[in-house]
Amino acid sequence: MLIKVQIIVGVISLILLFVTFELIRKKRLREEYAILWLFTGVVVLLFSLWPEFFLSQFFVKITGIFYLSAVVLIAFSFLLLIVLHFSVVISKLTSQQKDLAQRYALLELELNKLKRRDPAPSNIPS
Amino acid sequence: MEIEKRALVIIPAFNEEGSLERVVRGVNTHLPQAHVLVVNDGSTDRTSEKAKASGATVLDLPFNLGIGGAMQAGYRYAYEKAYDIAIQVDADGQHDPEEIRKLLAALEVQKVDVAIGSRFIESSEYKGSIMRRIGIAIFSGVISTIVRQKITDPTSGFRASNRRAIQLFASNYPQDYPEPEVLILLHQCHLKMGEVPVGMSKRYFGESSITKIRSVYYMVKVLLAIFVDCFKKPPLLE
Repeated sequence: MLIKVQIIVGVISLILLFVTFELIRKKRLREEYAILWLFTGVVVLLFSLWPEFFLSQFFVKITGIFYLSAVVLIAFSFLLLIVLHFSVVISKLTSQQKDLAQRYALLELELNKLKRRDPAPSNIPS
Repeated sequence: MEIEKRALVIIPAFNEEGSLERVVRGVNTHLPQAHVLVVNDGSTDRTSEKAKASGATVLDLPFNLGIGGAMQAGYRYAYEKAYDIAIQVDADGQHDPEEIRKLLAALEVQKVDVAIGSRFIESSEYKGSIMRRIGIAIFSGVISTIVRQKITDPTSGFRASNRRAIQLFASNYPQDYPEPEVLILLHQCHLKMGEVPVGMSKRYFGESSITKIRSVYYMVKVLLAIFVDCFKKPPLLE
């Protein structure tokens, strides 16, 4: 029974690691985000490689959770962190995008004013 | 008002081609010495053309930023062009340009940094829906408590600001529900505000962005935003 869970969890974590690695390689994912994903993958992989530790009386005693629930819980916690991180990033991007839009509009207005003042810069040799 | 003081009237407009020209002309008639800046917040209609035709300077935002982002763009312009006073007027025509003088007088007489035109100090033509009036009464109570000063019309967008306030708004302007949130910001930055009774008319065109059904939801969101604002770190003023 345990070996099945181990294989499933192991395969999932390997796929996650592979996909993350590929995304970084193709520059479709910034390293900044990749670190959290890679870390998640590695932690889940450890669960499948050394189930003894997570099955041990010691671990169960200090955490009160059993193997699979532990895997799910840990993975879920990381996902939560990743989503929170995304919210922070999106907020920052929105604010920067707003500043850019305002600056762009102000510059465009200034540029049009200059163009009107000097409509044909004919004295510049081409 | 002294002649040397340069005033800018900022009119944020999002799809307001129907009423904009009338507002700009009204401002030009009643306040000929002031410059008019229309901030076109990514309108999909002919707002920008109409505004240019009416002789106003037009700041075209590349896409819709919402009222907060549009107003801040206007204040940035006012700050960079070294205007002494900025007045914000709605493009839908609910603010009477004739009343701007009262706001300017309040800046001088009350010695405040921001003068707010209030519908509720004296009775005016304005009659909002019951829900809306209840909402405003609740905001008024909450905000008055926070800023320790009676604010009767916290959602009024009819305001005049002096140089200090322009400087603050150019760098810090709330984005979600700017009218009530600005009051908290002013309080945190120790800038003074004061209300002036003004009359407001119904909108010439279009519906208010707040419909009856959504007003409760709107109220909860604004109260939440105000609550969060109270815990925000106030920006540093040099």
